[in-house]
Amino acid sequence: MKVLIANRGEIAVRIIRACREMGHSTVAVYSDCDRDARHVRDADTAVHIGANDAKSSYLNIDAIVAAAAIAKADAVHPGYGFLAENAAFARACAGAGLTFIGPSADAIDLMGSKTAARTAAVAAGVPVVPGTDAPLAAAASDDELRRAASAVGFPLMVKAVAGGGGKGMRVVESPAGLLTAVQTARSEAGSAFGDTAVYLERRLTKPRHIEIQLLGDHHGTIVPFVERECSIQRRHQKVVEESPSIAVPPALRERMAAAATAVAKSVGYTNAGTIEFLLDEDGSFHFLEMNTRLQVEHPVTEMVTDIDLVQWQIRIARGERLDIDPVRALTPNGHAIECRIYAEDPDQGFMPSPGLIRGLRAAAGPGVRDDGGVVAGYTVPVFYDSMIAKLIAWAPSRPEALGRMARALAEYQVLGIRTTIPFFLWLLDQPDYLDGRYDTTYLDRVLAERRGESFSSFSSDDTEAIAIAAAVDTFLKASAGKADGGPAATRSGWVQVARREALRG
Amino acid sequence: MTFEVEVGGRTFTVAVERTDRAGRFRVALDGVPRLIDVSRTGDFGLSLLVMGTVPLPGSEQGTVPLSLRSADVQIVPGGGRGELFVGLQGRTIDVTVNGRRSAHAEGPLHGHGQVTIVAPMPGRVVRVLVAAGDPVDVRQPVVVVEAMKMENELRAPRAGHVREIAVAPGTSVEAGRVLAVIE
Repeated sequence: MKVLIANRGEIAVRIIRACREMGHSTVAVYSDCDRDARHVRDADTAVHIGANDAKSSYLNIDAIVAAAAIAKADAVHPGYGFLAENAAFARACAGAGLTFIGPSADAIDLMGSKTAARTAAVAAGVPVVPGTDAPLAAAASDDELRRAASAVGFPLMVKAVAGGGGKGMRVVESPAGLLTAVQTARSEAGSAFGDTAVYLERRLTKPRHIEIQLLGDHHGTIVPFVERECSIQRRHQKVVEESPSIAVPPALRERMAAAATAVAKSVGYTNAGTIEFLLDEDGSFHFLEMNTRLQVEHPVTEMVTDIDLVQWQIRIARGERLDIDPVRALTPNGHAIECRIYAEDPDQGFMPSPGLIRGLRAAAGPGVRDDGGVVAGYTVPVFYDSMIAKLIAWAPSRPEALGRMARALAEYQVLGIRTTIPFFLWLLDQPDYLDGRYDTTYLDRVLAERRGESFSSFSSDDTEAIAIAAAVDTFLKASAGKADGGPAATRSGWVQVARREALRG
Repeated sequence: MTFEVEVGGRTFTVAVERTDRAGRFRVALDGVPRLIDVSRTGDFGLSLLVMGTVPLPGSEQGTVPLSLRSADVQIVPGGGRGELFVGLQGRTIDVTVNGRRSAHAEGPLHGHGQVTIVAPMPGRVVRVLVAAGDPVDVRQPVVVVEAMKMENELRAPRAGHVREIAVAPGTSVEAGRVLAVIE
């Protein structure tokens, strides 16, 4: 089988790895600036699909389907983001005789609408966060918006119907902020998803974000997995994920898994998907949304179950039966943590830091997995998401996994651009995080309290070592500069003698 | 050679001198001498072994040299002369060698005169949040630039008044483009 990966970065590399392990050949696609990208270099073959703007390349359905035909691919894996949850793309693949490695186009359509997904969850007997049942009318008057909002209650969230990844999402604390929030959420949703529809949902005060990964085959079997804990979020974007959650005892795990399975079964779901829940302080949980794709954070599930989700996606798409032991899928072996390493400068408010990677040394060693997407010499472009790698640490227990992650982060060297590694090292020093006392509001709150203070704090020994290194480095460069005074100066003793003579004269 | 090295707000005077042995340097940090073994590791790395002496086992007076500390440091040139971006064990810091203290380091919170807000990377201006003449607080968001699929709020480095807004929503900007002037 030949698989075209309709994506880039670390997830394209991850999928290429799975294909290669299974003996399938791979086709990468790339935009102008990604010619040197790692996924292009790792794949068996690669097809150029367009200009840097994602609309011309990684979101260009016609170009990708044409690339699959040129490369004679049999199947398409969409990864996450870009076209992964685009039903039209799934249909275009099917129309071109390509196996789409993902759910059916109908399931993407249904669960892709956040409001339709809520209705499906209610029908399956799963509680949802209170909110508007339908999208807000595009022409809704200010008064109608205010009425809808007061029926939901404050604080509330304005969310894009087509949303995901924290885009098109706004928190509204009180009626005063409502109209602006609706307006900005609509404009963000329009540019991110091409759909300006939004709805309202009550905001729980201190929820945890807990999600259940599942796989479904084409023979009616759904297998739910151990939960993932994704409450460490910055501006609604997950930055650290764990499995299992410190807040989910086995009995609750069983109930959440059963609820997730009920939702997936009710829509005849196939392939990999994730049901997201909010877990309230009182232990009650509410359906949030379903992601009809492989998720960024899938490695933590793989690490605690030893099941390769990407390989299973491919097997399911080929029509194989899921024969995973359901007990194994739902029983965590040890603990896994993932840090999303972004090309961002944490000391400048997480400003993007694109540019040339001059040097790269990923972490390795026991229990460490680097799902990297870049290589030294590659220029991180400004056109796409800033995530350059995911670092995953596994250990028998959470405290050991935390220690291992801190060790691995300290090993990880990315030269030339700024990354969020110093931020993660700081987080792994915070008592509340280490003790598991956090919810989805934790990170934004502690970041606001720091008021932009640097994340890198050094001991006085380290500071002195840095000062010495900087001085010695400057010294060595200065002396190298002198030695370079003439091209032959250092090579020919005769010339040096001649020069000394000249100086003496 | 002697260098003034600024690291995280602290300034050190560091004197560096070669010894007879290749790779060994005598380094005095604020007058305190150390023997340092230095090895280049790739284009941007320096491995330092800070040498000390320990008593020779079984001897009353004798000592042997021993590395007391190994520091694997990464050093990448920064934007300006003498500016370095240094990494050690996953943490990173800006270092200035023989540099004049930048305006930034002098405390932009209480500064006078004009400061500019520039685009730190190429992108597109999404929103302009203030108008010329408006008062702004320190760290108040002034312009929102979209880059790498994120909306990035660029904030006032200090309190003052907006003297000029140099861009409009929709403007594509290159890195370094002046977006606004605060005075």
